[in-house]
Amino acid sequence: MKASTVRRVGGRLASLFASLLIALSLAFLLGRLSGDPTATILGPLAPPEQREALRHQLGLDLPVLVQYLDYLKGVFTGDLGQSLQFYQSNTSMIADRLPFTLQLVGAGMALALLVGIPLGVLAATREGTWWDRGASTLALLGQSVPVFWFGMMLVVLFAVKLGWLPAGQSGSPKHLILPALTMSVYPMAHIARLTRASMSDALAEPYIDSARARGISTRRVIWRHAFTNAMMPILTIVVLQTGILLSGAVAVEYVYSWPGLGQLALQAIQFRDFPLVQAIVVFGALVFVVLNLLVDVLHSIVDPRVR
Amino acid sequence: MSALLKLSGLSITARLAVGDLRLLDDVDLEIRRGQIVGVVGESGSGKTTLARAVVGLLDRNVRVDQGTIVVAGEQVVAPGVDRTDRVRGSAVGMVFQDASRSLNPLLKVRTQLAEVLRRHVRGITRAEVERRSVEVLAQMRITDPARVLASYPHQLSGGLRQRVAIGLAVVTRPALVIADECTTALDVTTQTKVVDLFRTLVDELGIGLLFVTHDLMLASDLCDRIAVMSGGRVVEQGDALTVLDQPQQEYTRRLLAAIPSWS
Repeated sequence: MKASTVRRVGGRLASLFASLLIALSLAFLLGRLSGDPTATILGPLAPPEQREALRHQLGLDLPVLVQYLDYLKGVFTGDLGQSLQFYQSNTSMIADRLPFTLQLVGAGMALALLVGIPLGVLAATREGTWWDRGASTLALLGQSVPVFWFGMMLVVLFAVKLGWLPAGQSGSPKHLILPALTMSVYPMAHIARLTRASMSDALAEPYIDSARARGISTRRVIWRHAFTNAMMPILTIVVLQTGILLSGAVAVEYVYSWPGLGQLALQAIQFRDFPLVQAIVVFGALVFVVLNLLVDVLHSIVDPRVR
Repeated sequence: MSALLKLSGLSITARLAVGDLRLLDDVDLEIRRGQIVGVVGESGSGKTTLARAVVGLLDRNVRVDQGTIVVAGEQVVAPGVDRTDRVRGSAVGMVFQDASRSLNPLLKVRTQLAEVLRRHVRGITRAEVERRSVEVLAQMRITDPARVLASYPHQLSGGLRQRVAIGLAVVTRPALVIADECTTALDVTTQTKVVDLFRTLVDELGIGLLFVTHDLMLASDLCDRIAVMSGGRVVEQGDALTVLDQPQQEYTRRLLAAIPSWS
């Protein structure tokens, strides 16, 4: 490996570590700002001595700085603490919920890619036609529709009126359809718009005309020459969207009572369950750091100029 | 000898929001084997439209109103007819303005050459692809074909990229090569080398070359015949020397007068 590559990778890792640290600190501070969890745990009528005792037991009477350092130490030794409401290790709770969120995000993103990319390519290759206008309008709608509203409309139509699909909860592939569809709408629209813009730029490059002049088939020119060159921004958005959804698709999971990380996060916040909120934020931050690295690696695979 | 390329009464119009715009108006032009024909004119004179029409790369809003284009005996363009896909890349190779950007930045030179060969030479073997790739780079006076084949475009100098782009246009052994302003982006030294290269290619391979340029002096160095274009019309065409020494048209005289000189 070249020295410049080592320096670049090193710099990248350092900046990702810094982002991670900032995310951790913000999660800690914002949690402390939201009030006293002992009130929620013991109820508003609990005597002050009892609350004091609980505060002591949870270590909330220690100076904030000490709590902060304890928390950081825990994170870096792999201990994300215990939930205040479930009396379980946060790590194991996240691990329990993760498969559900993975299912949902996997299905949703797959759908978003399968529809979004062809739609964007269609619009770009027929720029200025009704195809383009139709696809662009659809994408604009998809990006502006509120997720919770769209989810409820799907429930009304497919679960209540038609009775084809279950209205919520998990268990079978059938249960996955509506939540995955709901989840896919925003990323699908985003991917379609980005694909259109990126493809339209790529198609205007001189090497596209040259490939056509060499008699290369239209399909090959579009996919092999234009799309691979247009791919990088799309790849970046896909990976980052996946990160956003993985660290908690709160609205979708709430509408469909889907037992994933988003639900867990919501419960944690409502209960002022600091340790759990922090653990979920740490998990989300880690996901982002890993995905960011993944984007860099993919970029260097796709484009020889950044190797 | 029959013509490699024959444009007869070709008229092309672009439909714009503000109305129709005539890009080419009743253009006649002929190129024979072993001949270099220069098409000279200012920006907007229609010379690029002419070049692109031969390979069917006109914009969607542009159409052929009248006339025909015949390539190697086959009529490829007429009003409502576009059979350019039958000659594009096979009988006709094209080199573009800013040729170094006409290489796909994500693909190695080897891959790009192989793609064209596989497309046009049916049943070509892997070994044959490699042999012809090396051969065409050698024809381009590239001294280390192995390294260039294994390189991505950004790893090559501008001059080398230019040669590779020309190589990509001629690797399928087309009878006709169209070069559209392909020396404009180059410095004078490289320009001279490229022009020399074209001359040898025409002599060695017996191809016909349509050389589109705004540079009258360059055209006079290289070309056998010259067609001067203005406002979509060929205003004068003939022997390169005749056109330069005894221009019949006022427009050509003004073009010549616009060339700076030492005297």
